[in-house]
Amino acid sequence: MSTDINAIELTVNGVPYPVAIDTSRNLSGVLRNEIGLTGTKEGCDDCECGACMVLLDGQPINSCSYLAVQAQGREITTVEGLADGDELHPLQRNILATGGVQCGFCTPGMLMSAQALLDRNPDPSLEDIKIGLSGNLCRCTGYARILAAVDATAVELRGTSDS
Amino acid sequence: MAITDLPTFVRADGPDKVTGSGRYTADMTLTGMLAAKFRYAGVSHARITKLDVSAAKAIPGVFAVITADDVPDVRYSYGIADRTLFAKGVVRYDGEVLAAVAAISPEVAQRAVDAIVVEYDELPIVTDLEAAVADDSPLVHDDLDGYAITGDTPHHGNVGTHSSIEMGDPDAAMAAAHTVVSSRFVADASHAVPIEPRAVIAQWEGDKVTIWTSTQVPFDARNGVCETLEMPTTKVRVIVPHVGGGFGGKCGPHYEPHIAALARAAKRPCKLVFSRWEEFTAPDRRREGMIVDVTTGLDAEGNIVARTGELLLDNGAYMADSSFFAQAAAMHVAGPYTIPNVRIDAQLVYTNHQPSGSVRAPTAPQGCWAVESHTDELAAAIGMDPLDFRRRNIVRTGDVGPTGQTYEEIGLDRCLDMAAESAGWGTTELPDDEAFGISIGWWPSFHMPAGAYMKMHADGKVQVITGANECGTGSVMTLRMLAADELGLDQTDVELVYQDTAAAPDGPGASGSMTLFNHGRAVEKAAKEIAGQLRELAATKLEASAADIVLADGAASVAGTPTKSVPIVELAEAAAEGELLLGSGSTDELEWPEIKGSSCLGEQGFSSFMAPQFICHVARVRLDKDTGVARVLEVHAVHDSGTILNPVAAHGQVEGGILMGIGQALTEGTQYDETGSQRNAALLEYKLQTIADAPEIHTQFVEIHTPNAGPKGAKGLAEAPNVPTAGAISNAIAALIGRPVRQLPMTAERVWSTIAEEVTA
Repeated sequence: MSTDINAIELTVNGVPYPVAIDTSRNLSGVLRNEIGLTGTKEGCDDCECGACMVLLDGQPINSCSYLAVQAQGREITTVEGLADGDELHPLQRNILATGGVQCGFCTPGMLMSAQALLDRNPDPSLEDIKIGLSGNLCRCTGYARILAAVDATAVELRGTSDS
Repeated sequence: MAITDLPTFVRADGPDKVTGSGRYTADMTLTGMLAAKFRYAGVSHARITKLDVSAAKAIPGVFAVITADDVPDVRYSYGIADRTLFAKGVVRYDGEVLAAVAAISPEVAQRAVDAIVVEYDELPIVTDLEAAVADDSPLVHDDLDGYAITGDTPHHGNVGTHSSIEMGDPDAAMAAAHTVVSSRFVADASHAVPIEPRAVIAQWEGDKVTIWTSTQVPFDARNGVCETLEMPTTKVRVIVPHVGGGFGGKCGPHYEPHIAALARAAKRPCKLVFSRWEEFTAPDRRREGMIVDVTTGLDAEGNIVARTGELLLDNGAYMADSSFFAQAAAMHVAGPYTIPNVRIDAQLVYTNHQPSGSVRAPTAPQGCWAVESHTDELAAAIGMDPLDFRRRNIVRTGDVGPTGQTYEEIGLDRCLDMAAESAGWGTTELPDDEAFGISIGWWPSFHMPAGAYMKMHADGKVQVITGANECGTGSVMTLRMLAADELGLDQTDVELVYQDTAAAPDGPGASGSMTLFNHGRAVEKAAKEIAGQLRELAATKLEASAADIVLADGAASVAGTPTKSVPIVELAEAAAEGELLLGSGSTDELEWPEIKGSSCLGEQGFSSFMAPQFICHVARVRLDKDTGVARVLEVHAVHDSGTILNPVAAHGQVEGGILMGIGQALTEGTQYDETGSQRNAALLEYKLQTIADAPEIHTQFVEIHTPNAGPKGAKGLAEAPNVPTAGAISNAIAALIGRPVRQLPMTAERVWSTIAEEVTA
């Protein structure tokens, strides 16, 4: 068994967390077990389902297959960082309003992929949204309501930034 | 999309789920908690000659290693009690649990698992269904009669349940038929694939155990612990945190007893979290593979006069809840048609595959795919349009079905008409590489006992304590609406206490589309009790008769005199100082529909359908003939599921069920190697549909009055959308290439091969 323990600092949702971890640990496991942010889910441990999607300097990554030590010095955003205090992020509000949440297990990863998409493309076509979310599996919804929620959010956010 | 047209549905668990604050089982940690891991058989059929856990136990950080020797010697299961918690003597599939380890970390637990020594004498592996029913086949279980057997479960050799439905004289009618068509279809096994892999945590305090688990059925899970660990009901508490999807895959007790026994041995709380590979290969919840041979005779006008069928279903190594599968499959191969002469024989066959168990509408998608593909072959044989053929032969209100059940008001004819109209069947011009395919299907509603408690507090807020289980469908959330409606409150005044066997009355949980149908009826009764109390209080206060009190908009008022009114919160406040506002309810037994003129071997409760649901799906499919790749562009779905109380959730069920159906149709097939092990136990190899694959879905509901329905005329809904989609896609492909693809899933390779066969022929 490896005993290669490193004391590092991870910045998650703007908060610095000092952690002592084995070099082999994946980011999702450290977020969930050491830092205590369990919103990030683990569905396959193999980059196949997208439930563990987080943002690393704004880029979506499958945190199950990313070494935690590689995230040092970078900005990690998880689903817990989306809302502004008690105010839900428009993506969160809209995915509830459209009925895009059922079991909710894919939802955090789906929201993070959607956030990354809207950050890089504020005016996505439906096709763009499909491509942006194609790394996130949902077994419950049939996706249409998730698609509608992201589309509605893009419209809403453009309206806000225009005004 | 017309989402904005739908009434607001407040999903009480929604904010938890979108902010990440909601806890699923794997998110929980208890003080002193150990990691649990299993040692699996690793071979599909063998006699255990040595099982030595001493080296595993000696590893520092290992707290317990348990095997069959450490738990009561109990064989259990539904129908045929053929299994034990841990393998005993013989292993019969590769994912069977030999031993469980509890250790200080998952890494140490894995080292201990690897240090367990097991030796085997290999036994012949049974995987081929037709070979398995031959007289000279090796047996998966040497002596079924040595097990406790319950219900009408005819069995012999490797056949666990033999079931049949028979009516009229099919041989004579077939001999006299104008046209006879015989077809064979073979469906691969598939999987439920919830995105959340299952997890179980157990913690003992004295002689009581609390178990947190990702189950759909908390009371079944509790009962399974009680049965296998020989414990009284009152000593086992099952709590279900949020569940990350089930689709039947998390029905039945799964690993709650194992982890409870392990935690007792380790004297620490233990937590099991499955990997995706384990989720695919170990649980007893695989959708069964099936071989369908079906023959149908038509008269000169195209009326079905006779149908015979022979079905083989792959049960895998043990009975999970599968004893009813043979009869259920027979019903789907008969189909919702008027057929005066029927004989369908179905055999549920033991093999050395992972056990089969209820996955969303068990047996239906495969059975429906086979018989609906066959139906288009019938229509083609007499040159009739598939829609017209179905219009001629389906069951309508007052008709007698294939087991002699007379249907009261049903809406299948309307499903067919509305789906055809929505798609533009016969009117929409399609490009040469596109076609429509149509399929119908059915699924019962089920009565099971369920209870509910309810209390109204001094502030007028209500708690519903229900045994219902929310695995995502939203149907538990709908229970708030039922309570609020009876009490004249807003649904946000109602809070749910659910998924805790120590708090709530028993019920079926999230299985068999039963939440609203059963738990809903219990909630209505409990709410009526409190409503009655409120009316009495209001009557006294308003000097009126209780019968004249109306509860609406948060107030109790006298009918016809809205000025005579008192806020409900005022009544609640008064009651808190006197007789408390408490309600309870339990479902009334519903009468099972009668069947006449048929005989059924292996009766398992599926020969008649209570409050039957009917469905028609039309799929528009584009096919690339050079590659065999089929793409579903549109699905037009019309469902008769009775009254729709929660449109957002109802549409969500239909849309999700259709996507699952497309997966089963095109990409989702469990593949086995020659040793009986699954070859594609990962999500890159076992492909679910992605958002990029999702078609446009147009859903409509036929809302007609249904006798024997659930609350406010609702039937079940969660399983029905999964039934006919594969059949509709199959018929679209067949329309494009001139013949059906006879294997499910209809992968690009199989479609291409079917085209190639035609060219060769």
